Amino acid sequence: MIKVDNLHKTYGKLEVLKGINYEVHEKEVVCVIGPSGSGKSTFLRCINLLEEITDGAIYINGVMVNDPKTNINEIRTEVGMVFQQFNLFPHMTVIENITMAPMLIRKMGKKDGENLALELLDKVGLKEKAYNYPEQLSGGQQQRVAIARALAMKPKVMLFDEPTSALDPEMVKEVLDVMKQLAVEGMTMVVVTHEMGFAREVADRVVFMDGGYIVEQGNPEQLFHHPQNERTKAFLGKVL
Amino acid sequence: MNFLDMRWDIVWDYREFYINGLWVTIILTICGYLGGIVLGLLLGLGKTSKKRWIYWPCKLYVDLFRGTPMLVQILIIHLAFIPAVFGQSFGFLVSGIIALILNSAAYNAEIIRAGIESIDKGQMEAARSLGLTERQAMRKIVLPQAFRRMIPPLGNEFIALLKDSSLVTVIAANDILYAAKVVAGAYQRFWEPYLVAAIMYLVLTYVVTKLIAYVEKRFSIHYNPRKKREERVAT
Repeated sequence: MIKVDNLHKTYGKLEVLKGINYEVHEKEVVCVIGPSGSGKSTFLRCINLLEEITDGAIYINGVMVNDPKTNINEIRTEVGMVFQQFNLFPHMTVIENITMAPMLIRKMGKKDGENLALELLDKVGLKEKAYNYPEQLSGGQQQRVAIARALAMKPKVMLFDEPTSALDPEMVKEVLDVMKQLAVEGMTMVVVTHEMGFAREVADRVVFMDGGYIVEQGNPEQLFHHPQNERTKAFLGKVL
Repeated sequence: MNFLDMRWDIVWDYREFYINGLWVTIILTICGYLGGIVLGLLLGLGKTSKKRWIYWPCKLYVDLFRGTPMLVQILIIHLAFIPAVFGQSFGFLVSGIIALILNSAAYNAEIIRAGIESIDKGQMEAARSLGLTERQAMRKIVLPQAFRRMIPPLGNEFIALLKDSSLVTVIAANDILYAAKVVAGAYQRFWEPYLVAAIMYLVLTYVVTKLIAYVEKRFSIHYNPRKKREERVAT
């Protein structure tokens, strides 16, 4: 589904990604963990080309994302993204946040758009907030709306960039629960996270990144209980 | 000078000059301002561009028009630029409007650029991640938010332009100030004609200030006409 081939990313002289090779299969939940500055967020942002790729290639469903001939906007409609800072549109109500892209890009009618939005809001447990503005919502609620907004484009993959890192502790669970439900429904997901409990419970595979490389990867059982690499052991020793 | 010895009747005799001047000032300011917003928006967007061949001409324009006095610009446009390009003059109104557009666009460009850049990058990223093109994201997400922040400085710019429009008297445009000059010249009295002109500008700027306050409120994030209607129905 997603194939990453020798991905390099540099900012000026700073090399953030030093050759990443990885493949995400359909319906797979992949959690990316690692210390801050390890390049895991950059890796995620390269997948839908929010960061320009310095070298290498990324393929989504066989289409090379960083080919200049590829229409990146079309690819992005199939790849949902959820940000650490939610990034809801503050000048729109919750329901407008969700219907905006389907109406603009998929040319969905207003009625259909609203029905879809209400359905998605129901799924994330926020139907009654449809006509509120984002600033009237708590962080956890905002993030759930952001997930619904991404789902409204019916993406084939969802990317999560530290979705719970900006949340108060008591709101983390409500967001993780929505993500778990998505995983159960068979959504393909790549999740950059510090929530080791979530990774252990939900992930099919866990990737440990450090210093711009994938240091180790495997299923949660392998990675968390029998890590092979010293750096993985040191990192897990600190966070678990 | 005896303050009690004012002769307001001379101003009254020339009231048609003042009323005509009022219209000229209003037309100059509104045309200059609207044109300045449109051109300023293009220049402001240009100044946020990463493409050098877009960025540099826009920057050069802004630096040029902010770095030279408007009075000089008006004279160059009316006496040199328009006759040289078109071979004839189209009168003070056309020259004046062009000068005001070109000048205010430079200031508006900076306001618009700063407004756009003040919007968190995450907004553009979120919009692009949903599949919007850069243009769609700008129109639907960034500009509506930036516009709210631009209202107060753009309002200031409107007031400044209203007052600066009096500079067109230098090319014999018959605006408010021109009426005052005519009366002053005819009677060799200066208090009455210029005070009346000053008061007319004051009233105009006051009206504009109120207008800006209304627009600011109307476009605040909290203003929600739908909610108001619902409340009215409920009570």
